[in-house]
Amino acid sequence: MAKNKTLTKITETKSMENQNAIAYLFILPWLIGFLVFVVYPFFMTIYNTFFQISSEANTLVYTFNLMINGGNYGTAFRNVVFFPQLLDFIVMEITYVPTIIVVAFVLALLLNTGVKGQSLFRVIFFFPVIIMSGPVSGILRYNGAGSIFDYADNIIFKMILSYSPGLARSLSGLFENFTMVLWFTGIPIILFINALQKINPNLYEAAKIDGANSWQILWKIKVPIVRSTAFLSAVFVIIQLGTYALNPVYGTIQGTIYSRGAGIGLASTFAFIYSLVVFILVGVAYLLLGKPEKTKQIKLSSIQEKSMQEVAKKRLAQANKGATL
Amino acid sequence: MKHLLLKLSQIQGNIQAFFSRVKEYYRIRKNKIHSIIAKIAIYTFLVTISYVFLYPVLRMISISFMTSADLVNPEVIWLPKNIQFGNYDVAWRVLNGSKSLLNSIQYSTIMAVFQTIVSALTGFAFARYEFKGKKFLYAILLFSFIIPIPILLITQYNMFNTFYQSIGHTGLGKGLNTFDSQMIMAFFGQGVNSAILILIFTNFFKMIPSDLYEAGKIDGANPLQLFWHITIKLSLSTIVVVFLFSFVWNWNESYVTNFLVGDGVQLFTNQLGKFDSLFSSRAPESPYAGTGVQLVESYKMAATTVSILPLLVIYFVGQKSFVQGIEKTGITGE
Repeated sequence: MAKNKTLTKITETKSMENQNAIAYLFILPWLIGFLVFVVYPFFMTIYNTFFQISSEANTLVYTFNLMINGGNYGTAFRNVVFFPQLLDFIVMEITYVPTIIVVAFVLALLLNTGVKGQSLFRVIFFFPVIIMSGPVSGILRYNGAGSIFDYADNIIFKMILSYSPGLARSLSGLFENFTMVLWFTGIPIILFINALQKINPNLYEAAKIDGANSWQILWKIKVPIVRSTAFLSAVFVIIQLGTYALNPVYGTIQGTIYSRGAGIGLASTFAFIYSLVVFILVGVAYLLLGKPEKTKQIKLSSIQEKSMQEVAKKRLAQANKGATL
Repeated sequence: MKHLLLKLSQIQGNIQAFFSRVKEYYRIRKNKIHSIIAKIAIYTFLVTISYVFLYPVLRMISISFMTSADLVNPEVIWLPKNIQFGNYDVAWRVLNGSKSLLNSIQYSTIMAVFQTIVSALTGFAFARYEFKGKKFLYAILLFSFIIPIPILLITQYNMFNTFYQSIGHTGLGKGLNTFDSQMIMAFFGQGVNSAILILIFTNFFKMIPSDLYEAGKIDGANPLQLFWHITIKLSLSTIVVVFLFSFVWNWNESYVTNFLVGDGVQLFTNQLGKFDSLFSSRAPESPYAGTGVQLVESYKMAATTVSILPLLVIYFVGQKSFVQGIEKTGITGE
């Protein structure tokens, strides 16, 4: 018996070691790629930001310039093109992402009510994911096919404009590209529908028995449960918004590399600052949506407690009566 | 007069009876009526939203058939007065159609094959094995999705540049003028959205019952055989999903290609991106050349339609697997 045990132990450890080796063999291509094409470039680009880099006879010449007027960072902060574009990008993310998440959630709710032709609507809503590329969305946008509303003459819009031109500007960006905004909802809708379908229907039953109406069910059951999905969708959308033609920062970064005076060092700095902004945005999304919700302890007011106690007493009395009878 | 009053009261009675009947009907079928009204509202909303979704594409197709006269004519909104197929002819020439189409298909297919294979291998390891540092690597995989492309791309470009120079692989049709760099990256699991593809595979492979693997092991199968005979053969539908996603994403990818390939290879997307500058050189003998920006719009829309047509075909053939791919294998990453 004892021998058997040690035998199984030995074979187990052996298989574990084996497993390690085999798993790493399977993962090897990706791991190499990750180290070479993600980890190294990531830190190399950050390293680049401290230097003035010029290309001479196809070799890169590094000159440390951080001490001269803040180096590339100083240049980046003084740059008249990059910072406004970055600000525009941030404003765009802040206005677009919540809109996209809310619209996607509403559409998913509606599609999940069991309407007929659900699959047809899903096909339509997912379709932009397939065709949206930089040039296509760029062309459709600049040729006016993206805007569908005549918002500029709207009285409410004019009121907002007179109060706060900044808000009006970000709103106009939203309306001008409303279709494009909708086009980003494709993947979130599918994710939300999936999350909603996973909710146990018994929960609804229980809530209904407790006297909840559908509005309360929406806020107390559906919204809390899809929170993690909303976070995932938000990350998706933040990343996607960055990659498409809507984002001018990419073009500036690319253009800077080839410009004589600035070069790779400044472009790296732009890319680094931009990446920081994206990380911060994802972090904000995490703080708002991603944190697991604490279970709330319900505190009853003294009156509620009293009435609860009364109810309990009454029930006890009834039960006693029933028992004596 | 009396007669008239009698009739009037009769009518009044009728109306009252009618209303009471309506009320009765409403009382009995309250729920049903409510649900019908809700349904009408939902359908109206969904149809409206669908219209907004499809508006740019419908508009694009409509404009792509218009002549310059139709474009300026305020009466013409959707249907052009005389349909102009010639726009597509010009668009095809400007895009250098037959060549770009072949290149695009070749490029997307190669990239998709590489990405699918590597993602499947990686996903298999994450789903099946417990190994040291698994959680850390998995977290890193998820994190790699949110790293913006430019911060990597600058150094990647320099790396490939020095690499090609050191092995003398430069010049026309070599090195940075081809999509070799992207092929290498895709082969090592760093193509477009590779992280998502790996996630799809991982989540799907986890659903395969481990009894099957146990049975395979008892029968003496090695890991590669387990991978091939059980995992791959059971997940053909997922492989199709990943391949299609990869194909479409690579087709639509323009930033990395622009950076690493530039003008080296003619693809639909990069030709479309430079439509305006290519127009004057490639379609000089067109009858409308130089008559203003308006007409270029028709050509441009025709070109856009042409460039997304292959994707539309793929989507309508495989639309179910696209939606189910996201849905079932769930990127809901736990």
